[in-house]
Amino acid sequence: MAKTYEEINEKIKNKQAVVVTAEEMISIVREKGVKKAAVEVDIVTTGTFGPMCSSGAVLNTGHSTPKIKISQAWLNGVLAYCGIAAVDLYIGATEVARDDPLNKAFPGRFKYGGGHVIEELIRGKDIVLEAEGYGTDCYPRKEIKTLINIKDLNNAFILNPRNCYQNYNVAVNRRKKRNIYTYMGILRPDMANAGYCSAGQLSPLLNDPYYRTIGIGTRIFLAGGVGYVCWYGTQHAPNTPRDENGIPRGGAGTIAVTGDMKQMNADFIRGVSMTGYGVSLAMGIGIPIPILDEEMAKFTSVSDAEIFAPVTDYSHDYPNFTGNPLDWVSYEELRSGKITLEGREIETFSLSSYYKARQIAQTLKAWIKEGDFLLGKPLETLPGEGSEIKCGKLKYRPV
Amino acid sequence: MQKNIFLHFSRELVDQPIMSTLIRKYDVEVNILQATITPNEEGTMFVQLRGNEEKLEHALGYLVANGVDVMVKPRRIHFHEDLCTSCGACVAHCLPGALYVEEDTRKVLYDEDLCIACELCIPACPFRAVEMAKTSVGGEV
Ligand code: SF4
Ligand code: SF4
Repeated sequence: MAKTYEEINEKIKNKQAVVVTAEEMISIVREKGVKKAAVEVDIVTTGTFGPMCSSGAVLNTGHSTPKIKISQAWLNGVLAYCGIAAVDLYIGATEVARDDPLNKAFPGRFKYGGGHVIEELIRGKDIVLEAEGYGTDCYPRKEIKTLINIKDLNNAFILNPRNCYQNYNVAVNRRKKRNIYTYMGILRPDMANAGYCSAGQLSPLLNDPYYRTIGIGTRIFLAGGVGYVCWYGTQHAPNTPRDENGIPRGGAGTIAVTGDMKQMNADFIRGVSMTGYGVSLAMGIGIPIPILDEEMAKFTSVSDAEIFAPVTDYSHDYPNFTGNPLDWVSYEELRSGKITLEGREIETFSLSSYYKARQIAQTLKAWIKEGDFLLGKPLETLPGEGSEIKCGKLKYRPV
Repeated sequence: MQKNIFLHFSRELVDQPIMSTLIRKYDVEVNILQATITPNEEGTMFVQLRGNEEKLEHALGYLVANGVDVMVKPRRIHFHEDLCTSCGACVAHCLPGALYVEEDTRKVLYDEDLCIACELCIPACPFRAVEMAKTSVGGEV
C-alpha cells in the first residue's frame, strides 16, 4: 500500500518513522524483498561530499555611514560580484584570489579563492572586505575597508546553481608523456590512474533516478544545516541514456540548492585547491527519500555494482567535446581501487569522500529519527525524462 | 637502518659511475625512488639507502667526497587529520601506500613508517591536508 508524505511526516513527529541509509537499504531489500521493505521502511537517507564548482554565497553586509553602493568588492582579496543591490554580494566558489600567480608557473597551486572565503566565513573567521563605489547622491561613500564576520551579516546564504550531479565521468589521461591537471585531479600519462567523483549507491539522485520525490521545495541536509532544493540545476539533462534500472549512464540530473550559512558546519563545506586547475568548493549534501511505494523501495536499493560511469579521456575527448567514452565501469570496481581498461589494470582515486557521504546520511537519519526534520513535499518535481529541457552545445555565432 | 636522501649531481658528475660504485664497494642497498636530469644536464636523485649505521656513514662520506650534494630529506610529511576529508585523491599518487583507504570505514589513513617523503601527495590533495614537515627529522648527514 502506498504511503503519503503527510503520513510519513506524522510518523516523524511521533518519532516512529523507520529511517535507514541508502547503504543499509541495499541489504534490507536483499533480505526481505521489495514488498516488505516498502512497508517497513519510511525514509531512506542519502549523502554526498565532493567538489561542486557551481556554488556560491549571497551576503548582505548592511550599510555603513554614509552609505555606499558597492560596484567592486573583494573578500580576503577574492573578487565578489556586486552587480546587484548596493550591499548585496555574491561570492563564487571558483573565483581565484587576485594576487594568485594562476598557471604562470605551471602547474599553479591555487591556494585561495571563493570556496575558501565561504569556508572561513562559516568557521566564524573575520574576513577583510574592500569595496569601491562611484558615489551617488543617495550613496555618497566611495570606498570602504573593514573586517566582516558572518555573525554580523544581515544575510548569508548559499545559492548554488548546480550541485549533486546524478552520475559523473571517470577521468583518464591518454597522453603518452605528461601529467594533465584537471578538475578531476592529477591524471598521470598513459592512463596510469583514473579519477572518479560520486558517492554512487549513497548519492541522492542515483537513489531517485526519475526524480519522483526530489523537486522544488525538498528539504535537505546542506553542509550541516537545513537547506532546500530551489530549482533544477544548470545543465540538468534528464534525457541522458539510462540502464534498465533507470540509472543514467553519465551526468544527467542536477539540482540548485539554497540554505542559511549561519547554520552550517565547516566539516561539510570546504574550500578546494586543484593543482593546475583552480579553486572550488566541496559541498556536503544529504537528501531524504520517502519510500512512498514499492518502486521507491526498489530505486533506493541500487548498489554500486549496478551504477556505471563513463570513462573519458581528459587529454582530448573531454576538452574537445567529442562525447566518446572509452568504456563504462561500475562504482563497485572503482571503489575497489582498480579498474580494468583495454586489458590493463588501472589504479583509481576518488575526489568525492565516501567517508563523509556516509557521515551525512547517518546524520540526516538521526535528525529525522529525533523528529527534528520533516520531509518537504516538492511543489514541483524536477523536469524528467521526455521533458524538453536539454544540455546542449553553445550555438556559436561569431561576430 | 634506512635513510631517505636527495642527491644532486653537477654536470661533470652525471656520467660518472658513482651509484654503481656505491652499491658495489659500500655494501648498502640502494632504492632509487626518483631520478631526473635537468635541462642543463645536472642530475637529481631521490634514493632510499639501507644498511647498518656504519656502512651508511661510509657510503654518505663517499658521495660527499666525490662532490655529490647530499641532502637528507625530512623523512615525513605532516598529515593534518582534522583537515583531511578522506576523499582519497592522494591515494593513487602515494606509491609506497603510506596514505591508504581503510576498507571498512572508507577513511583515509596515514602510516608514517611507510612514507618516503616524495611529496607527490601534496599537490594531489585538494584540501591542503598534507604538507612538508617544517624541520627535517634527523637532518644531519
Ligand atoms: S610524501 Fe605523500 S605520497 Fe610520498 S610517500 Fe609520503 S604520504 Fe605517500
Ligand atoms: S587528498 Fe587530502 S583530503 Fe583527500 S584523503 Fe588525501 S590527504 Fe585527505
